[in-house]
Amino acid sequence: MPTTTATITLASSDIADNSFSISNTSTLYNAGNDTGISETTGLGRKKVASASNVILLDATLAGGIAQDVTPDKSAKVFIKNHNDRGDGSKFVNILLTTVEIGRLYGGDWMFFPWNATDGKDIEITPSDATETTLEYTVFYE
Amino acid sequence: MATTTATITLSSADLLSDNLSLSATMNLYQHNTTATGLDEMNYHRLVIPTGTSFDLIAESAALSEDASYVYIINKNTDVTDYVLIDINSEEIGRLYAGDWMFIPWDCDLTHATADSSIEIEAVGHETIIEYALFHNGETLPTSGD
Repeated sequence: MPTTTATITLASSDIADNSFSISNTSTLYNAGNDTGISETTGLGRKKVASASNVILLDATLAGGIAQDVTPDKSAKVFIKNHNDRGDGSKFVNILLTTVEIGRLYGGDWMFFPWNATDGKDIEITPSDATETTLEYTVFYE
Repeated sequence: MATTTATITLSSADLLSDNLSLSATMNLYQHNTTATGLDEMNYHRLVIPTGTSFDLIAESAALSEDASYVYIINKNTDVTDYVLIDINSEEIGRLYAGDWMFIPWDCDLTHATADSSIEIEAVGHETIIEYALFHNGETLPTSGD
């Protein structure tokens, strides 16, 4: 089975009295065992020029990019807002259906597990209608 | 103001027919600023018992409507152990042993009936987690004595 890893490094030399650095690597396994995740949507790139709420990843929708993601198993989502940060007032709200998770400003990324049960879509709502470019991928079983 | 960076690297030599290597780095900035870094942080290590959903990161007036980022890692080693991560009782996903997540978090106090706190529940076995909140201020409880 494939071996896919996700490594995070959080670092700051001045947020505390001493330098702060955390680094961890996770191997992406199927749920409840140590078999490597073997499927991915591939890397997607999407431009949105609207402030309307739209679905980025439609859970269990036949024919959608996320159609093969098995609900209640192991799925990991990566999303990056590829825009420039600008003055820091523009962002994209990332939601799980109607529940807002957080705001991705230009240059920000996020990586999180996704339950992907029916109706639990990953949705986006840009803060304004200027064009936003997102990159995203899902690793799943 | 502090400079804090978050870097992710996703890699695999055998998931696809060619090597997968993706890397991204971001600075943790305050809302509505070009490049002013978040300068407050909490870092915790906890043992989460099974059977109850807890508020891991509670709403706070000072956290509202600003940029905040959350990192959580499941430090257990048994691959069957996992924690549920929820917001407003909606399950975002399951963090299995060894897994980590990093998300922006919107502490939203505008919806009286919708709690934006980040909730956690251990399933199967008590779970050791570590988590960090990078933020721009939180409201501390007033001392009662």
